[in-house]
Amino acid sequence: MDMVLETDQLGKRYGRNWALRDCSLHLPAGRIAALVGPNGAGKSTLLHMAVGLLRPDAGAVRVFDESPYNNTKVLAEIGFVAQDTPLYRDFTATELVTMGGKLNRRWDAALARTRLADLGIPPNKPVGKLSGGQRAQVALALALAKRPRLLLLDEPVASLDPLARREFLQSLMGSVADDGTTVLLSSHLLADLERVCDYLIVLHAARVQLVGTVDDLVAGHRQLVGPRNGGGPIGGVAAVVRASHTDRQSTLLVRTDGPVDDSSWTVREVTLEDLILAYLAEGDTEASHAEWGVSA
Amino acid sequence: MGGVGMIWLAWRQHRKQALFTLVGFAVLAALMIPIALSMRHTFAELGLPDCVRQMAQADLSPATRDTCEAGFHRFTNRYGSLNLVAVLLLILPMLVGLFWGAPLVAREVEQGTHRLVWTQGISRTHWALVKFGLVGAAALTAAIGYGLGMSWWVDPLTQAARQGRFGVIVFDLQGVAPIGYTLFAVALGIFAGTIWRRMLPAMAVTLVGFAGLRAALAILVRPHYLPAHTLTFPVYGSTDEPSMSRGDWVLSSGVRDAAGKMVLPDGGVMCPPGASNPHGGACGADLGIGPGAYNWQLYQPAGRFWLFQGIETGIFVALAALLLYLAIRRIRRIA
Repeated sequence: MDMVLETDQLGKRYGRNWALRDCSLHLPAGRIAALVGPNGAGKSTLLHMAVGLLRPDAGAVRVFDESPYNNTKVLAEIGFVAQDTPLYRDFTATELVTMGGKLNRRWDAALARTRLADLGIPPNKPVGKLSGGQRAQVALALALAKRPRLLLLDEPVASLDPLARREFLQSLMGSVADDGTTVLLSSHLLADLERVCDYLIVLHAARVQLVGTVDDLVAGHRQLVGPRNGGGPIGGVAAVVRASHTDRQSTLLVRTDGPVDDSSWTVREVTLEDLILAYLAEGDTEASHAEWGVSA
Repeated sequence: MGGVGMIWLAWRQHRKQALFTLVGFAVLAALMIPIALSMRHTFAELGLPDCVRQMAQADLSPATRDTCEAGFHRFTNRYGSLNLVAVLLLILPMLVGLFWGAPLVAREVEQGTHRLVWTQGISRTHWALVKFGLVGAAALTAAIGYGLGMSWWVDPLTQAARQGRFGVIVFDLQGVAPIGYTLFAVALGIFAGTIWRRMLPAMAVTLVGFAGLRAALAILVRPHYLPAHTLTFPVYGSTDEPSMSRGDWVLSSGVRDAAGKMVLPDGGVMCPPGASNPHGGACGADLGIGPGAYNWQLYQPAGRFWLFQGIETGIFVALAALLLYLAIRRIRRIA
C-alpha cells in the first residue's frame, strides 16, 4: 500500500522536554485520519514536522518518500491549515486567493472562488472581519486550491461553534471524497472526528498510543465485565488496556488476539470513544508523579 | 510565482506602512526645507560665507575678524536652538528599525501567519531574502535622502559654530553614516524579531541595542579609527592659537611643562610677549607654568571626515549583514 506519511522513531525536543518521542507510524494513501490527543500531546509538533516547518531532533519523517523539512517539492503536495486558521487579517478573501496563486506553482483559483461563493463568504471584506467559521472556511479553501495530495489540518474546528464545526467537516469531506486526497486532522475532541475518520492515531504524553484503521481497532478490542479479577490470563486477551474494579466486579478494556470464550466474562463490543479514552487514561503519568514528589 | 509573487505580497502587506512613512517624510521635509532656506538666506545676508573663507586664512585683519565674529554670533543667537532639532533627528534611523525592522518577522509569528505563508509553495529563505531585500532597499533610499538632506540642512549651523563636521551630533547626522545606522537598525529589528518573536519585546530590544551600540561606538571607538595626530605650540611668544576654525576634532588637550608632564589638563594658555598675570607675576606662573611649557593637542584632522564616515558606515553595514545572516538562520528554526 502507498504510504503518504511515514515516521520512524521521530522525536522533537524543546529544551529538555520532548514534545514528541519515539513516534513511529504510517499513514496510507486515501485515508481520512484523526490525530487525537489532549492539549500538549505533541499533535501540532507532529504536523509541523510533516509539513516541513520543523526539523526533527531524532528519527525521521517522510512525506511522499521525501524529507519535508525545507523541501518545496514536498510542500507543493501538502495543503496545511495551521491551528487557529491564521490569515492576513487585513487581506480580503479575494486577495488571499490571489496571494496563493502568486506563491504556488499549482493553484486552482477557480476552485477556491467557487467554494467561497458556495459558502457565501464576502469576497471584498477584510477576513479579520469575518466570523471564525468563515475564516476557517477561507483557510480550508486556500489549502484545497493547492490541489494537495495530503491535507494536514491542525485543530481546524477547535474555535468553532458546534454548527460551524459540522458545516466545516461536511464541506471538507465533500471536497476530498472525489480526489482521494489523504487527510490528517488533529483534534482534542473525538466527537468532532468520529463521523468522518476511518483511520486513527492517538497521541498522549508525547508518545503514540494507538495507530490503525478504525475498523481494525474497534474489532481488535473488547470490553469484558465479570467477577473481580486478580489479574490472571484470560483466553483470547492479548493485553489489558485499562481495568477498573468495584468490590465485586471488574471491567476491563482489552486488546484481543482471538475470540474470548471464557464464560465468566460478559463480552461487549467497544465504541471508538471507549477505546480512545482507555488509551488516553493509560498514558504515562509517572513523570508527573515524580515532579510532584508523590507516589503513583 | 516566486520572486514577483513575493514582491506582490510584500507590497500588499506593507503598502499602508509605506504610505505612512512617505507622508511622515513629506511632513518633515515641509517643515525642514523652509527653515533651511531662511537659515541660508540669513547666513548669506550676514556675509558669513565670505567670513568662512577669510577665517581660514592666516593673515586676517582684526577689524574683519571682529565683524565676522559678530556675524557668527548673531546667526547663532537666531538659529542655535535648531541644534536641538538636529538632536531629535538623530533618532530617525532608529525609528525605521523599530517600525520596519522589528515587526517584519515578529508580527508574522505573533499572529501565526508565518505558518500560512511558509507553507505555500516557496521556501522561507526565499521569503526572507525578498522581504529583507525590499525593506533594506526602501531603508537605503530613505537613508540616502536623509543623509544628503541633513548635510545640506545642517551645514550653515556647523559653519557658524566653527566646530567642523566632526562634532558628535553633526557627524552622525550627515554624509553616508546614516545609511549604516539605518540598515543596522532595520537588521537589528529583524533579528530581534526572530529571537523574541513578539513585536513589543523586539522593538524594546531594538531601541536599547541600537542606542547602546551607537553611543558606545561614537564615544569609545570612533576616536581611535585612525591614530590621532598631536599638535604642539609654545605658551610664550605666540599670539595666536594656530588655525582655530580649521574643523579638527580635538580629542584631548592641555599644557605640558618642559619635561612633557601635563600641568594643566583640558586647557590652553598663550602668553603674548611681555604679558603678566593679574597679580603681577610672570604670565602663567600661578597655573604652575614655567619656561619651556607648551600647549598640546591630540586631534583627528578635519580632512579625515569622509574617511571616518566611510569607516563608521562600513562597521554598521557589516553588522547589519551579520545580523541578517543570523536572522535567516534563526528563521529556519521557527515553526
